[in-house]
Amino acid sequence: MRAEASRYWRLWLRMAAMSLQAQIAYPLGSVGFLLGKFIRLIFFFAFVAAVFQHTQQVAGYSLVETALFFLTFNLVDMFAQIFFRGVYGARRVVADGDFDFYLIQPCSPLFRMTLTTVDFLDVATIVPVLVMIGVVFTRLPGPIGAWRYALYVLLTLNGVGVAFAAHVLVSALAVRTQELENTIWIYRDVTSMGKFPVDVYGATTRWLLTLAVPVAVMFTFPAKALLGLLSPAWTAYALALDAILLAASGYYWLDSVARYTSSSS
Amino acid sequence: MKKYAVAYGIALQQVLQRRATLLMDRVGGVALIVSLYFFWRTLLQGKSQFLGYTGAQMLSYVLAMNVLRSFVFTGRGWELVQEISSGRISSYLVRPVSYQGYTLALDLAQKSVHLAASFLEIGLLILLIHAPVYVPKRLSSWVLFPVSVALSSVIFFLMEFMVSSLAFWTSESGGPLFCFELFLQFAAGTFFPLDVLPAALQTALRFTPFPYMVFFPINIYLERPIGVSPLQVLGIEAAWLALLLGLSRALWARALDSYAAEGG
Repeated sequence: MRAEASRYWRLWLRMAAMSLQAQIAYPLGSVGFLLGKFIRLIFFFAFVAAVFQHTQQVAGYSLVETALFFLTFNLVDMFAQIFFRGVYGARRVVADGDFDFYLIQPCSPLFRMTLTTVDFLDVATIVPVLVMIGVVFTRLPGPIGAWRYALYVLLTLNGVGVAFAAHVLVSALAVRTQELENTIWIYRDVTSMGKFPVDVYGATTRWLLTLAVPVAVMFTFPAKALLGLLSPAWTAYALALDAILLAASGYYWLDSVARYTSSSS
Repeated sequence: MKKYAVAYGIALQQVLQRRATLLMDRVGGVALIVSLYFFWRTLLQGKSQFLGYTGAQMLSYVLAMNVLRSFVFTGRGWELVQEISSGRISSYLVRPVSYQGYTLALDLAQKSVHLAASFLEIGLLILLIHAPVYVPKRLSSWVLFPVSVALSSVIFFLMEFMVSSLAFWTSESGGPLFCFELFLQFAAGTFFPLDVLPAALQTALRFTPFPYMVFFPINIYLERPIGVSPLQVLGIEAAWLALLLGLSRALWARALDSYAAEGG
């Protein structure tokens, strides 16, 4: 088991190095994409900060608290983009027949499909996000116990787990249908609703974002836990949902691969 | 002119044929609008106005953003980059058509479909969430708003065309195009009204074409005082359009000089 983990770690490092080389080989393109990502981050943050020049609270949250929700969204989203970037090319991999090669390589095709493309541009973008989260931590009201920070970390990782389940599902759909090129963009667009705490939405939308499309679980719950606003029942729900989604997406992936008949060769 | 109309018709069929792609594009826009709509609605609770916008004006701004994003910011920039980089553009250059005119016809086809979809989405949103809508009281607003949006759309076409043309000199023009599109959308007021920003930044942006593409046209519709009259907005848009037209023609001539028909 340990040797297997070590082998996958070395494999990931090798593929990550290749991703980095590919991005360095296109400096102008990479700088453009990086600048774009910074622009998006800075403008949205400036927007939230500017809004609070004119009001004290949004949905009962102060500027610092709203910033925490926004930054937590970015943290989970960027984490998923850094590590699960391969899914964005899943349909092309299947349509071009490259997936056949994944199947004969001595490693998990799911690992190969989802985890071996690393977006280093987001690594650069996540650094200021982490710094800003650190600043927000120091400005949150009241004493916050270590266990609440631990819960924040746990639920943030839980959010990444839900994101991973969604990416596995998208990969499985690509293998199963050889189509649905833009499915991952639906995920991106819908999850963008997590930039704000789900409390800003109407009751129906809020429930949908908590129970049907778990945007709240991924992005709002970690910040709420840190603020002491998440009940143990909702915490348990978040963890259980992640376990269920990971199991279900894993099963769907295996079933899709079992039905795969090669699309181009 | 007839050949461009034919290109428009064929492109229209192609856009409608790729229904899944169209649906995905629209889902993204709707998610953004729903998100911003509820954010502003929450902000406006218990207030008669915010930043000088009444509730109906602010929420109409968000809904109008969907229309303008669909009509103004729909373009073929990424396809153009692909066509230049792969050399496929060669086959267009030898045809008896103006490439800009041809591209504009294809652009218009996309814009038409997305515009219709945006009206449908707004209609559904108004029905489902009972969104208050600001209706202009002056006849001039009904006339000047669409003229302003049409000018914005051509300005965007020219700007995107120029940035995409970088592909004639480098195979890495995707990055600058991505960066340009994001900056443009923020600076134009596509995500939030520019009144939110500090006064100095607002003033600086007025010296660029960006706020004249979304922020000012929507404010013409909302009939809000914006420091310049609607006719002045149209005049400034026309001036930017003329300048960008000249620049894009000059750039295109230089681009063709340096074109090496890679892969073609």
